[in-house]
Amino acid sequence: MSLYLESPRTKKRNAAERRFQSYGLAAIAAALFFLVVLLGQIIGNGSGAFIQTRLTVPVTLDAAAIEKAEGSMMKTSGYRKLIVASLSAEMQAKGIEAELDSKAAKALLSSGAPNTLRQHVLANPADIGSTVTLKLAGSSRLDGYMKGRVTRESISDDKAITPAHLDLADELIGVGLLSKGFNWGFVTGNDASDLRPEQSGMGQSVLGSLAMMLVVLAVCLPISVAASIYLEEFAPKNKLTQFIEVNISNLAAVPSIVFGILALAAFIQFGGGTIGIEAFRASAPLVGGLALSLMTLPTIIIATRAALKAVPQSMRDAALGVGASKMQAVFHHVLPLAMPGIMTGTIIGLAAALGETAPLLLIGMVAFVQTDISGATSFFTDPNVGMPAQIYIWATRADGAWYERAWGGIILLLIFLACMNIVAILLRRKFERRW
Amino acid sequence: MFDQPSNLAPQVETPVTTDHKITAENVNVHYGDTHAIKDVNVKIDDKTVTAFIGPSGCGKSTFLRCLNRMNDTIDICRVSGLIELDGEDINHAKVDPVQLRAKVGMVFQKPNPFPKSIFDNVAYGPRIHGQAANKAELDEIVEKSLRSAALWKEVKDRLHAPGTGLSGGQQQRLCIARAVATAPEVLLMDEPCSALDPIATAQVEELIDELRENFSVVIVTHSMQQAARVSQKTAFFHLGELVEFGETGQIFTNPHDSRTESYITGRIG
Ligand SMILES: Nc1ncnc2c1ncn2[C@@H]1O[C@H](COP(=O)(O)OP(=O)(O)O)[C@@H](O)[C@H]1O
Ligand SMILES: [Mg+2]
Repeated sequence: MSLYLESPRTKKRNAAERRFQSYGLAAIAAALFFLVVLLGQIIGNGSGAFIQTRLTVPVTLDAAAIEKAEGSMMKTSGYRKLIVASLSAEMQAKGIEAELDSKAAKALLSSGAPNTLRQHVLANPADIGSTVTLKLAGSSRLDGYMKGRVTRESISDDKAITPAHLDLADELIGVGLLSKGFNWGFVTGNDASDLRPEQSGMGQSVLGSLAMMLVVLAVCLPISVAASIYLEEFAPKNKLTQFIEVNISNLAAVPSIVFGILALAAFIQFGGGTIGIEAFRASAPLVGGLALSLMTLPTIIIATRAALKAVPQSMRDAALGVGASKMQAVFHHVLPLAMPGIMTGTIIGLAAALGETAPLLLIGMVAFVQTDISGATSFFTDPNVGMPAQIYIWATRADGAWYERAWGGIILLLIFLACMNIVAILLRRKFERRW
Repeated sequence: MFDQPSNLAPQVETPVTTDHKITAENVNVHYGDTHAIKDVNVKIDDKTVTAFIGPSGCGKSTFLRCLNRMNDTIDICRVSGLIELDGEDINHAKVDPVQLRAKVGMVFQKPNPFPKSIFDNVAYGPRIHGQAANKAELDEIVEKSLRSAALWKEVKDRLHAPGTGLSGGQQQRLCIARAVATAPEVLLMDEPCSALDPIATAQVEELIDELRENFSVVIVTHSMQQAARVSQKTAFFHLGELVEFGETGQIFTNPHDSRTESYITGRIG
């Protein structure tokens, strides 16, 4: 038979091969499609959290009014009057006829605006007596209107804002007093109470997650590398080590909430309560990190052992053959070759820990943190939240503004994860054998 | 498995002087239930090349690995019998296998240079044994070892290039250089040429002949021609037994055992 002709057998084989390739392509296309949809959803829903509506107000800092405000019980209400007066004056100057009554001011301005002004005054006492132009946050309803989430129809039952207020907002846009800008507060700020989504931020929970990741890394990496090296290179292969191996694999499959309740019992109730260790208190990132370590350890141990197993026996033989001790063989030759694999396993474990919510809920890492963390010890022991817990809390709140924040939080979570991965890749590069 | 001193062991403090470098008496090796080496007795001379030949799976590598206790690294492997190096029981409880392996170097079947530079490959042994007081001494050891492995001329300009970037034959000579760098007294080679082309093989064979001046060399080979070319003594293994051991010339021209004859004439194997 001529080589130019496909035999029936070859034809069938080639068809099967083409079919298989098309399945593969279809699978990749589907995966890409889902990825694009997912990312589109996240960015579409969450990017709003990074934009904030702001009123540009030239505030006249009258010395007497400020002194009076500082002397009163509700310090911010004095500042509030200052803002409203300045904004009214500015509106008139720009030719807006509508009046800014207190209801309209409440509807348009964030309740946090007076505090922003007060902080500015406290930080710049020299400004007292002059006029400073500040960008003050708009209310969450106004913010929603600017982003298209709130419309005249959707507020028909709303007591906080009326269509007349929205007309006023339109006029403010017209004269350039109302605009949108990047919301640093969302990246750096704390959680805020139910009614003030425009003042909430992820910053606190980013620090909480960072603290937990540091604890997980510090606990898991040494323990799992030591355990893996011992099991893989030194331990005799007997019933006991087999039993340990099987159980490590089993632990990796235990639901994370179980580790959460274990951490609650072992660290908070026993460690903090019975023994009385000061640092082991509910909501502390230290305890959160330990809880996450429990669930991350088996993952990293399994990955590390696989990496050690992948180092060819000939490397160990070569080292032992020139008279290296077992430990020298492991530390000089096996471990460096296994390092990239260990890094990969560690980053997978950390990524899983970063996104874990259930154990955090059990140990109370859903603290409502209003004040900033200061100092190194309090960084690990002051009550805090983790990023996924913060997102979870926001997602359970009713207002549409919170929904947007939750999605925005997910964007930050993904960015955090990407940063972790980049660090891991850089470290991997450093360790990777160069030949 | 090596922890109890063999009852045949002489006093460690007063080594018996013999004219043999290594003597093995009644050596048995088991891998689990597999009886891999059966009652092997052999005497290996100093400054001699001894070849182990035999069909594959007959236990040549296993026996070779007994001589520097590399079998320690295999969990299921049990070795019994007496093996003496210069009259000292190498399996004695007081013997540290690490010290033994510095004296009894090994070259493996597959070239296995470390993924480090050529220099670091050769310098590794002397470094961990503290055999060089300073950098100059270390440089000297490395050069001497590379010269004795007939590799110096080819690599002297790229000592800091990766050892894994060399050709197969060069890699194997690098491994030989690495093994001789620790100044061993015995050099064990397990089919060192099986992964090499004929030219590289010829180079390594020539090298083995030169190494004989300073070391006792034990080489495992499945090539009878190679055994005939490089060795003075030959041991023929079959199914875990040492069938015949003697002068290479005698084994190849006038074997006493019919199994040896069958093997060298090509009827077993
Ligand atoms: N690591 C091991 N585990 C179990 N059995 C082994 C091992 N190494 C060798 N053997 C067995 O021991 C016997 C001798 O093997 P080996 O010494 O490698 O033979 P050769 O080097 O002569 O080809 C063979 O039957 C082999 O199956
Ligand atoms: Mg072999």
